[in-house]
Amino acid sequence: MSYLEYVIGAYAVFVLFLVWDFVVPRLRLARTRRNIVLRAKREAARLSGNPA
Amino acid sequence: MNPAIRWFHSLGSPPTFDRFAARWAPWCHGAAMLLIALGLWQALFVVPADYQQGDSFRILYIHVPAAWMSMFVFGLMAVYAAIALVWRIKLCEILAMACAPIGAAFTLITLATGSIWGKPMWGTWWDWDPRLTTELVLLFLYLGVIGLNAAIEDRRAAARAAGFLAIVGVALLPVIRYSVTWWNSLHQGATIKLFGESTMDASMTWPLWVMVLATKFWFVGSLLQRARADNLAREANKDWARASAGVPR
Repeated sequence: MSYLEYVIGAYAVFVLFLVWDFVVPRLRLARTRRNIVLRAKREAARLSGNPA
Repeated sequence: MNPAIRWFHSLGSPPTFDRFAARWAPWCHGAAMLLIALGLWQALFVVPADYQQGDSFRILYIHVPAAWMSMFVFGLMAVYAAIALVWRIKLCEILAMACAPIGAAFTLITLATGSIWGKPMWGTWWDWDPRLTTELVLLFLYLGVIGLNAAIEDRRAAARAAGFLAIVGVALLPVIRYSVTWWNSLHQGATIKLFGESTMDASMTWPLWVMVLATKFWFVGSLLQRARADNLAREANKDWARASAGVPR
C-alpha cells in the first residue's frame, strides 16, 4: 500500500510547474533587455549614417 | 507625508519598482527553495505513512498549499485589478496580469495532484464533484483572464478588460470554499484549519505549514519577476529602461 508511483508522479508535476514558473519570466526579461539593446544599436547606426 | 506611505507611493514609479523587484525577487525565490527543501524532506522522509491511505497521503503536502494559493492569487489579482480600474495605476494593471499565469499554474497543480491522489483512493482520476468542478471553473477563469489580456492590442485596455473579468470571477471563491458544505461531495471537508483544531495529528501538520509559507514566498518572487519583465517591456523606450538593459547613455 505504498502507492509510490502516484506520489512520485504528483511531486514531479509540482516540480515541473515550479521550474516552468522560474524559467519563463527570466527568459522574457532577457529577451526584452536584448530587444532594447538591439533597438538602441539600430538607432545609433541610423543617426551616424552607417548601416546597422 | 509619513515616510512609509511615501515609500509605498514611490513603488508605483516604474524605475523604482524595477529596482525593488530586481533586489527582492531572488531573495523570495531563495527563501521559498529553502522552505520547499525542508518541507518536502519532512513530507517524504520523516512524517510516517497514514494508517489508511499509506504513502499516498503525502500528496497532500503539495495539493493543499497549491489549492489555497489558487484561490489566494485570484483574490489578490481581483484586488489589484480593482485598484487599477479605480485609480488607473499602471503598475497595478501589470501586477494583476502577472498574477494570472502563476495562479493558473497553482490551479493546474491542484487539479493534477488531486487527480493523481484520487485514482488510488477513489478509484477514478476524475469525478464531476462540486469541489473538483468549481476548481476546474477557476482554471477556466484564469485562462479567460490570460486570453483576454493577450487578445487586445492596447496593453492598458487589455489589462482593464481582463481585470474586470477577474473582479467578476471573485464570486466563485466562496463557492469553491463552501462547495463541500453546501452539496454532497466526494471530496472530504476541511481537515486542516487555520483557526481551530485540525483533525490531523500535529506531527503530520507542521510540514504542511512550511509548504504553505514556501508557496507564499514563491508566489511573491514569481510575481515580482513577471511584473518586472512586463514593466520593462512597456517602458522599453524610456531612458531608465535603456540604462537598466545596459545601453550606454
